[in-house]
Amino acid sequence: MIQAIVFLPLIGALVAGAIAIYGAHARNPSGDEMEHGDHGHGAHAHASDAHVHDDHGHDDHGPIEPPAAGSRAAEIITTALLLIAAGLSWVVLVDVGFLKHDARVVLFSWINSGDLNVNWTLRVDTLTAVMLVVVNTVSSLVHLYSIGYMNEDPNRPRFMAYLSLFTFAMLMLVTADNLVQLFFGWEGVGLASYLLIGFWFRKPSANAAAIKAFVVNRVGDFGFALGIFAIFMLVGSTDFDTIFGAAPGLTGKTINFLGWNADALTLTCLLLFMGAMGKSAQFLLHTWLPDAMEGPTPVSALIHAATMVTAGVFMVARLSPLFELAPNAQAVVMLFGASTAFFAATIGLVQNDIKRIIAYSTCSQLGYMFVAMGAGAYSVGMFHLFTHAFFKALLFLGAGSVIHAMHHEQDIRNMGGLKDRIPFTYIVMTIGTLALTGFPLTAGYFSKDAIIESAFVAHNPFALYGFLMTVVAALLTSFYSWRLVFKTFHGEPHDHHHYEQAHESPLTMLVPLGVLAAGSILAGFPFKELFTGHGVGEFFRDSIKNKPDILEEMHHVPALVAYSPTIMMIVGFVVAWLFYIRRPYLPVELANQHQGLYKFLLNKWYFDELYEIIFVRPAKWLGRFLWKKGDGFVIDGFGPDGVSARVLDVTRNVVKLQTGYLYHYAFAMLVGVAGLITWFIFGAGAR
Amino acid sequence: MSFQAAGYSLTPALPELVLTVSAMVLLMLGAFRGEKITGLVTALAVAMLVVTGLVVLWLPAGKLTTFGGSFIVDDFARFLKVLALTGSAVALILSRGFLEEPSRRIFEYAILIMLSTVGMMILISAADLITLYLGLELMSLALYVVASSHRDDAKSTEAGLKYFVLGALSSGMLLYGASLIYGFTGTVSFAGIAAAAKEPTTGLVFGLVFLLAGLCFKISAVPFHMWTPDVYEGAPTPVTAFFASAPKVAALAVFTRVALTAFPGITSQWQQIVVFVAIASMVLGSFAAIGQKNIKRLMAYSSIGHMGFALVGLAAGTQEGAQGVLVYIAIYVAMTLGTFSVILAMKRNGQPVETISDFAGLSRTNPLLAFFLAMLLFSLAGIPPLAGFFAKFYVFLAAIKAGLFTLAVIGVVASVIGAFYYLTIIKVMYFDEPKGAVDPVRTELRTVLAVAGGFNMLFFIYPAPLITAATAAAKSLF
Amino acid sequence: MILPALFFYLFAGICVASAVMVIASRNPVHSVLFLILAFVNASGLFVLLGAEFLAMILVVVYVGAVAVLFLFVIMMLDVDFAELRQGFLEYLPVGLLIGAVFLAELLLVAGGWAINPALVKTAVAPIPADITNTEALGLVLYTRYIHYFQISGIVLLVAMIGAIVLTLRHKPSVKRQDINVQNARTKAMAMEVRKVAVGQGLQDPPSREAAE
Repeated sequence: MIQAIVFLPLIGALVAGAIAIYGAHARNPSGDEMEHGDHGHGAHAHASDAHVHDDHGHDDHGPIEPPAAGSRAAEIITTALLLIAAGLSWVVLVDVGFLKHDARVVLFSWINSGDLNVNWTLRVDTLTAVMLVVVNTVSSLVHLYSIGYMNEDPNRPRFMAYLSLFTFAMLMLVTADNLVQLFFGWEGVGLASYLLIGFWFRKPSANAAAIKAFVVNRVGDFGFALGIFAIFMLVGSTDFDTIFGAAPGLTGKTINFLGWNADALTLTCLLLFMGAMGKSAQFLLHTWLPDAMEGPTPVSALIHAATMVTAGVFMVARLSPLFELAPNAQAVVMLFGASTAFFAATIGLVQNDIKRIIAYSTCSQLGYMFVAMGAGAYSVGMFHLFTHAFFKALLFLGAGSVIHAMHHEQDIRNMGGLKDRIPFTYIVMTIGTLALTGFPLTAGYFSKDAIIESAFVAHNPFALYGFLMTVVAALLTSFYSWRLVFKTFHGEPHDHHHYEQAHESPLTMLVPLGVLAAGSILAGFPFKELFTGHGVGEFFRDSIKNKPDILEEMHHVPALVAYSPTIMMIVGFVVAWLFYIRRPYLPVELANQHQGLYKFLLNKWYFDELYEIIFVRPAKWLGRFLWKKGDGFVIDGFGPDGVSARVLDVTRNVVKLQTGYLYHYAFAMLVGVAGLITWFIFGAGAR
Repeated sequence: MSFQAAGYSLTPALPELVLTVSAMVLLMLGAFRGEKITGLVTALAVAMLVVTGLVVLWLPAGKLTTFGGSFIVDDFARFLKVLALTGSAVALILSRGFLEEPSRRIFEYAILIMLSTVGMMILISAADLITLYLGLELMSLALYVVASSHRDDAKSTEAGLKYFVLGALSSGMLLYGASLIYGFTGTVSFAGIAAAAKEPTTGLVFGLVFLLAGLCFKISAVPFHMWTPDVYEGAPTPVTAFFASAPKVAALAVFTRVALTAFPGITSQWQQIVVFVAIASMVLGSFAAIGQKNIKRLMAYSSIGHMGFALVGLAAGTQEGAQGVLVYIAIYVAMTLGTFSVILAMKRNGQPVETISDFAGLSRTNPLLAFFLAMLLFSLAGIPPLAGFFAKFYVFLAAIKAGLFTLAVIGVVASVIGAFYYLTIIKVMYFDEPKGAVDPVRTELRTVLAVAGGFNMLFFIYPAPLITAATAAAKSLF
Repeated sequence: MILPALFFYLFAGICVASAVMVIASRNPVHSVLFLILAFVNASGLFVLLGAEFLAMILVVVYVGAVAVLFLFVIMMLDVDFAELRQGFLEYLPVGLLIGAVFLAELLLVAGGWAINPALVKTAVAPIPADITNTEALGLVLYTRYIHYFQISGIVLLVAMIGAIVLTLRHKPSVKRQDINVQNARTKAMAMEVRKVAVGQGLQDPPSREAAE
C-alpha cells in the first residue's frame, strides 16, 4: 500500500510527461523556435505581471497556442492517481496512528561504498502518516483544482507532470528512512519547485524567481549537506534508527569546525536547521518565497504553502531526538522561528499583491511552527503544520479563484466588492481567514493557541521573546488577513470592467475549495488531543520525541496567556474593520505620517536590496571577473584561442621556410646533418 | 676466389627477376609499337605487378638468403614487398586517366614504375650496404624521371629537377655514411656490422648519421623533407599518389631493417636520431599543413607527418615497435591511395582542380565522394574506429611500452593539431557553398576509392590478418 | 717510404686546392678545367693506393667523357653564372659556419681513425698481389658480385629510358630519315619529266608528298 502511495504519483508524472513530450513534438516537429508560440504566454505573462491594465479578456491573448494533445488524458490520469493515493493515505493514517502498524519497507540497496550503506527504505510511522495525509490530500485537491484553473494554458500535460513529480519527491522525503533518502526527496521537491515556479518560462520574472528559489535553497542545502556529513562522521550511518540510538552517547562530544571546537550535536543540529531554514523560508533565507508566487497559483497552494515549505518543519520533527539533546540549537530554532513569525507578519501588513500577502502569511506561520519546535513541542508544531496545510491551501486556492475571476488581476487595490460576484469564494476565503487568525473552534485556533502556550512554558533563553513575538504576530495576522478580505470582497469595486466580468469559478475549482474549507474547520478539534493532549504518546509513539512534560505544563498556563491570541485576533479584526470598512482614509493617512516605516515594510525590510549589495553584486562581479578575465582572457587566451592562434603563427613561419629555392633545401639538409652530428659529438651521444 | 654456387641461388630473387624481365619485354613492346599501345602496356604492367606479388607469396617460407648473404627474403621482406607491389599497382591503375591524354601517352611511364618497384624490392631485401645503395638508386632514378614526366609543364619539370638534385645530395650523404661505416667496421653486410658495431665510436655514429640522413630523405622526414611539398605539388597527380605510397614503404622498410638488424649494438644512438626526426616530422607536418591551400601540398605535409608517426614505432626499437611501423605503413598506404583517388576524381569540365576551396560543397554535388573522402580524412586524422586510429594506436603503444613517454605525448599533441587541417577539408566539403558539380568519376578511381575506403572503415571489424602478418614480419627482424 | 708520402700530399693538396677553385672560379670554363685537375689528382691518389684500374677508369670516364661533356654543355648554354651567384655573399657566413662545423667534426673522426688502428686492419680487404688490378676486379665482378653488376645495369637502363622519355620529341615539322622509304623509292617516284612552255614557266608543280 505504501508503495502504491509513493509511486502512483511517479507513474502519473511519467505518463503526463510522456504526453507532454509527445505533444510538444507533435506541435513543433521541426524543433525550430516558433515565433507565434510566444504570444499566448506573452499575453499570459503580461496579464499576471502588470497590475494596471484597462482592457483585457480572452481576446487579447493573441493567437492562442493550441492545447497539447492529450491534455485531458494527462489531467485525468494524474488526478485520479493522486486521489487514489490520498485515499490510501488516510487509510495508512488510521492503520499506523491508531492501529499502531508501523512499517519499514526496504525497496532495494542504493549506495554501498565503504562504510556508507544506504537503502531505499520506506519508513511509515505516525509522523510520516500525518505528512502523507497532508501531502496527498492537498496535492490531489490541487490537481483537481488545476484542471479548472489551468484550462487556458496550452502546456497542461507538462504542468500536471510537474505537479505529480513534485508529489512523488515530497512523498519520498516524508517516507525517508535515512538522511540520504531524505536529501533525495529534499532536492527532488526543490527541483519540482524550480520547474513549477518557472512554469511560464517565457516570462523573465518567473525565470528569475525560479532561479532565486533554487539558489537560496542551495544556501540552506549547503548547511544541510554539511549536517548530514557531520552525522555520518559522528555516527557512521545515515539511518535514522542508528542515529537516534547513538545520539545520547554524543552529548558532550566536540567537533573541530574551522578551528573551533564546537559541541558536536549543537553544531550538527544547527547545520541541519540551516537546511530547514532554506526550505521553510525562515528569516534571512526567506526571500525566495514571495517571489515564488510567480508560479501558477495551484503551485503556490501546494508547494509554497501546504507541503514543501513545511519540509523543514518536518525534518526538525523527524530529528526531534537529536534536537532534544541540543538545547542551544533549540534556542536558535526558536529565535529564528519567532523572528520570522513577527517579521513576515509586518511585511504582510502593507503588501498589495493578494498572493504575496498570503505568501508572507505562510512565512509567518512557518515561524510559528518553528517556535513550537524550539520549545520542544514537536507534536504541536506538527499540529499547526497539519491544520495550516488546509487553511493556507484554501486561502491560496481561494485567491486563485479570485484571480481567475478577475482575469489574472492580483492587486487587491483593484478589487473590491467581489462578495456579490463570487459569493462561494467569498465564503470559503472567510472560513480560511477565520482559521488562519485563530477564530475559536476553527482548526487554526487549536494549533496556534497551543504554540503560543508552548512558547510561554518553554525553558530556553528565547522563550519569552518567542511568546511575545507570536502574540504580536497573531495581532498582525488578524489585521492583514482581514484587510485582504475587506479590500477584496467588501467596499466599492475599483475596476469596474473586471468587476462586471468577474464570474464564479468552474466546479473543478470549487470542489477543492469546499473540501478544504471543511478541513479548515474540522481539522482542529478532532485531532487536538492526538497532537497536543494526552493522546500524543499513544499516537506518535517513537516517531517524535517531545520535551518531557511540556504538554502537561501547557495545560496549566495563566488564563490571560491562553486567551491572548484570541484577544489579539479580535483586536486585529476590529482595527482592520475600522481601517478598511469604516474609515478607509485612515490607512492612507497613517502611511503618509509614517512614511519611513511604511516604505520599510513595503520594501520587505529591504532584504532584497541588502542581499543584492552583499551577495548578488559581489557574486556577479566575481562571475564577470572570472568570465571575462579568468575564462575569456586567461583560459581562452592562453587555452583554446591562444593555442589555435599560436598554431597559426607557427604555421605561417613554417610555411615561410618553404622558399622554393633548391639551395635552401639542400642547406636545410646539411644543417640537419650537422646538427645531428654536433649533438652526438658534443651532446649526450657518443662517449 | 671460387664461385660458391650454394650461396647464389636465384630463387629468392625470383620476383625481382620476373618483374625486371617483364619490364624489359614490355619496353620492347612499347618501343616497337609506339605510344598507341600505352594503355595495353600499362594494363600488362599492372598484371605483372600482381603476378610478382603472387610470386613473392609463392616463395618458400622462412628466411632465404642469396648472393652471398647480401640479399634476404624473410617475412618482413614479404610483407613489405607485397605492400609495395600493391601500392605501385594501384598507383598505376590511378594513372590510367592521366595516360589517356594524347599528349601524355608515355608507355615508358609504366616501365619506369615497374623498374622503380624492382628497386624497391631490392631495397626491401637488401642485407648489405651496397645492395641498399643500388636498390635505392634504381628506385629513385625512375622516380626522378616520372616526377618530370609531364615535361611540357614547368612545375613538373621543376619538381623532377629539384628531386633529382636533392636526391643526388642525399645519395652522396648516404654513400659517405656507408663508406664511413665500412671503414669503421670493415664490412658492408648488416650482420657483419651488427657484430662489429658494439660500441658507439665517433666515426661509426658519424657514419650512422649520414646513412640515416640519406634514408630520411627518401621517407621525407624533417629536416630532409624540403623537396616533398614542391615535388608533390609539381608532379602529375598520379605520380604524386605513387610517390606517397610505394617508395615510402620501401624506404621505411630499409630504414627499419638497417636500424634494427645492422645497429642493434648502438640502439640508443640511432634511437636519438629517430626520436628527433620523428618529433620534427610530426610537428612540422602538422603545423605546415594547416597553412596549405593546395590539396597535393597538403598531402605532402600530411605524408611528412605520417612518416613521423611511423618513426615513433621505430624509435621504440622493439619488436612491437617494428610491428607498429608495419601496421602503420600498411594503413597509411591504403588511406593515401584512397585520398589520392578522390583528388584525381576532382575534375571540373575535364580540368583537374587541386585547391582545397574547390572541394566546397562536395557533400551536395557528389555526396558519396564527399563521404568517402571525409572517412579517409578522419582516418588520416586518427579518429576511432577508423583504421588510422589503430595505426597510431600501435605505434604509440610501442613507444609507451619502451618508456618514450615524451615522444608519445608530443605525437598525440601533433596528431591533434594535425586533425585541424583534415577537419578543415571536411568542413569545406560539408558546410561551404557548392562550387558546381564535378565530372563523373572514372570506374577505376571509384573501385580504388571503394576498396580503400572500405578497408579504412571496416578494418576494426577484422584486423587480425594485417596484425598477424605484421607480427610475423616484425618477428623475423629479431 | 718518403716518396709515396710526398706524392700523397702533392696530389691531395692539389686536389683540394682545385676543388676549392671549382667553386671559387668566376669563369665556368675554368671551373670545369679545375674539376678535371681534381679528377686527375684523385686518380693519382688511386695509383698510390695500388688501385690502378680505378685510376685509369677515373681518367678515362670522368676526365675523358664526363668533364668534357660538361665543358661542351657550359660552352653551348649561355648561363649567366654571375647572376646565379648573387646572394652568395649573403649566405657565405652561414655556409662557412656549417662548413667549419663539418670540418671540425671530420677532423675528430679522423682522430678516431688514428686512435683505433686495430679497426683499420680489419677494415681493409686484402688486395691480391699476384694478379693485376683489372683481373682481380673481373674475377669478383661477374661472379661474387654479379647481382651488383646486374642491378647497376638496370640502373643504367632506367637512366637511358629516362633520358629518352624526357628529351625525345616527335615534332611533326621535323623531317626524319626513313630507310625503308628511301630504299623503296623508284625512278618513277623520284623523277617526272615536264614540258615547259616558253615564257610561262612551270605551272602547278605536283607536290612531293602526292608523288610518294
